[in-house]
Amino acid sequence: MGFFAPWFLAGLAAIGLPVWLHLLQQHRVDPVKFPSLQFFEKRTQTSVRQRRLKYRVLLALRILMFLLLALLFAQPFIRRQISAGTETRHVILAIDRSFSMRAENRLADAKTQALAEVDRLRPNATAQVVTLGGGAQLVTQATRDKAELRSAIASIQPGSSRSAFAEIARTARVISEARKLPVDVHLFSDFQRSSMPSSFQELGLPAGVSMISHRVGGEKTPNFAVENVSAPTAIADGKTARLTATIRGFSTEETTRNVALALNGKILQTKPLRIPAGGRVTVEFIGLDASYGWNRGEVRLEGGDALSDDNAMRFAVERADPRKVLFVHEPGRTRSALYFRSALESAAEGLFALEPVAVSQVSGIDPSKYALVVLSDVGSVPQGFETKLHDYVKAGGGVWIAAGATSASRGAVPFTGAKIGETVYAARSAERFYSASKLDLSHPSVGRANRWEGVQFYQASVVDPGKASVVASLSNGSPLLIESREGRGRILTFASGLENVSNDFPLHTSFVPFVEQTARHLAGLESRSSTVAVDSLLELQSGGMENASAIEVLDPQGKRMLDLNAASSAQTLRVNEEGFYEINRQNNRRELVAVNADRAESALEPMPGESIELWSRTGDGAPVAAGTAESVEQRKPVSLWWWVALLLLIATLAESLVAARRLEPEAAS
Amino acid sequence: MIQRFLDPSILASISGLDLVAKTVVDGFVAGMHRSPDFGFSQEFAEYRMYVPGDDLRHVDWNVFARTERAYLKRYRGETNTQLTIILDASIGMAFGKKIRKFDYARYLAASLAYMASKQRDAVGLLVFDEEVVDYTHASSRQGQLFRVLNTINKAEPRGGTNFVKPFHHVQEYLRRRGLYVVISDFYGDPDTTLKAIAPLRGQGSEVVLFQIFDPEEMKPSFHGPVILIDMESGEEMEVTPEYARDEYPARRDAHVEAMRSGARGFGMEHALLVTDQPLDAALREYLAVRKGRL
Repeated sequence: MGFFAPWFLAGLAAIGLPVWLHLLQQHRVDPVKFPSLQFFEKRTQTSVRQRRLKYRVLLALRILMFLLLALLFAQPFIRRQISAGTETRHVILAIDRSFSMRAENRLADAKTQALAEVDRLRPNATAQVVTLGGGAQLVTQATRDKAELRSAIASIQPGSSRSAFAEIARTARVISEARKLPVDVHLFSDFQRSSMPSSFQELGLPAGVSMISHRVGGEKTPNFAVENVSAPTAIADGKTARLTATIRGFSTEETTRNVALALNGKILQTKPLRIPAGGRVTVEFIGLDASYGWNRGEVRLEGGDALSDDNAMRFAVERADPRKVLFVHEPGRTRSALYFRSALESAAEGLFALEPVAVSQVSGIDPSKYALVVLSDVGSVPQGFETKLHDYVKAGGGVWIAAGATSASRGAVPFTGAKIGETVYAARSAERFYSASKLDLSHPSVGRANRWEGVQFYQASVVDPGKASVVASLSNGSPLLIESREGRGRILTFASGLENVSNDFPLHTSFVPFVEQTARHLAGLESRSSTVAVDSLLELQSGGMENASAIEVLDPQGKRMLDLNAASSAQTLRVNEEGFYEINRQNNRRELVAVNADRAESALEPMPGESIELWSRTGDGAPVAAGTAESVEQRKPVSLWWWVALLLLIATLAESLVAARRLEPEAAS
Repeated sequence: MIQRFLDPSILASISGLDLVAKTVVDGFVAGMHRSPDFGFSQEFAEYRMYVPGDDLRHVDWNVFARTERAYLKRYRGETNTQLTIILDASIGMAFGKKIRKFDYARYLAASLAYMASKQRDAVGLLVFDEEVVDYTHASSRQGQLFRVLNTINKAEPRGGTNFVKPFHHVQEYLRRRGLYVVISDFYGDPDTTLKAIAPLRGQGSEVVLFQIFDPEEMKPSFHGPVILIDMESGEEMEVTPEYARDEYPARRDAHVEAMRSGARGFGMEHALLVTDQPLDAALREYLAVRKGRL
């Protein structure tokens, strides 16, 4: 017997109260005058007997009341011996359904072993089925129904996710705490080495949890895999498109295999490839005969192996006409357009087509036809064009403003109206110049531009950034690259010119990625990734909830993945299946994303047996050791609160009756 | 209705002791079916020679006319006796739940004095505790009744009980033959007490002992162990209800019986009076004893 709140037993001291009342208070009598004590005798013995107790039954009931009251608050419980029909241990049947389990007959073997384990379950044991792959998922709740367990196991299908053994340890910990029972984890897996966490501590099982491993698959299983495909997301001219793929062998002998490039199911090229033993090799394909729109591509390694599903890797590529870039400049100042065009065309593989226009001729131009608008050091833009430009940005367009000397002379950045405080100049001759500092390397404009090393700025406008974020600053601290948002679009302000007068940036190689990445960024092409791994998150809404719009996502089978509510509110979407996902955004903007299994799953090498054994023993330090476990697991605390409360009620009633019966006559007298 | 006026608890509400005595006696007399022979009838008893000092109103002038000798005509009721009431004023007499034993004794004494006075008996009073506290010589003079009643009225219980010492002095005061009424609770050794009183009987006097108890003394109502304090000695004693219920009555009855039989042995009358009883029993006892004397 125990107590949930034993400190209330201190209330037992109150038992002294009725004892005191009966022994001392009851005996206290006032002396009575009597004419003579001639006829009386002193009877001490009788008096002592009276002193012992007067109303024994009443006293007993009162003591019992206080005793029960203290017990009531202390909440007693007993550990009842659990009968044969009650549960003693909880069993978790964890089945690995990760991508690697597709190799050979691993998943089928695992399911067979799991079914056998179900047959061996004791009748009183509860069990539940958990799958591993993309996290641990509970397939069933705890049950003693073996038919339900068998059905759940039989329904498990191979997945494309990556397994992480730390997940099963975490799940076992949660279930153990929730059920307060010793837990046996039967893990049916190929125990891939690559699924181990970086720290072995993460595999630690909690006290009372034991792990029994059921390994499927061989020790060293050779496997080839297309490890990586590097393909352009968008191409304008298929003939010049370049694609590279990496083929890797795991525990394989040196061999020669054909690698095929297929587009929309049609094999375009096939190349023989010599793959070194247990190594990797890269193959390059030139020319993608892609049709306009999105194309579903695949690099496939011919010939079979243990895991054939990783012998192909999907990619998505869009063929479109070059996106037009409106380049607005002051009349007669075409130098910046020259540098800008050169950089853009050399890097973007014909993705963009530059249209230089003098600021005086933009009034009739509709910016919505352009992927990007560049305002290159213009003083101001016509009112009508500016209005259309605002609408364009709000709808998701991008504007790049170079605020050079002309803009500085007006005292404000064109279009945004940001105040330009002053213009800083540095002389070339004395090698007095400013350099870029405090670069935000996470920003796409500067991330691949080699930190703009060696770039010298001679003239720059000191722009008040306001609420905009500063991406880069000059060495004197003034903002150099500022990004702000308007609606769903972006505005990037470069506080200098795009020609080689105000700086020597166009003469540096870093200018090319700067222009290309910034153009992609502002045109909305940068964020698009056409090839991702299973369990990745697809970004659906980038402008926040206030700019959310309905997005339709179709899975590889062509089924809608989002309901109406989620279609307008979901920010991201987790993809857990291989194949092509189609994303239809607002304004008929369509994207195709190729999803491939994580190639870490292709390494079929299992964990060393010692590691598995070590992992199994992490829960053995628990107090639930063999002998103790039985005694603990079979005794369950059962609260006696209601019984004590009932007894207290009876004792109270009995006390009332006895007190009324015994004390009333005395009070009346 | 008449009986009601003899109820001690009602008498206690009457302020004047004389009125109490009158109420008791008149009520008692009126309640009797036959007039008792207690003296103030006009029945002729004897003639006696006139001696100087006699009341001239009692001279039989008819006899004087015929014989020229003055004779006093005496009636039967004037063959008076002398009543001396001896009242115990010890502190134990102050006990009583509804009415104090002493008050009951005072009513009794006053009633006896009144009745005796009506019969033209000489009435005297002696109040004692451990000593003789007060004494009024027996007399039939006018105003004697009020002197006696006044003495009764001012008496208050105090001190212990000692029959030996006061009765030794009593014998010095009371040498005449007469009727002695001793009112007390008679706590103490019966033999010692009776031996102290018995000398009164030696001159041919009649002695009546009225032993007065409170109902609580007759049947103590203890519901638990109690500590009793002796009102005279101050001694404390723890008494259980079982003892009070079982043994006390036996010992008390034994004491009363010892007093009764002892008194009878000395030729004295003994009567037990409980303060919740009317006073007529005491008066009846008195009249019976007096009648025997005439």
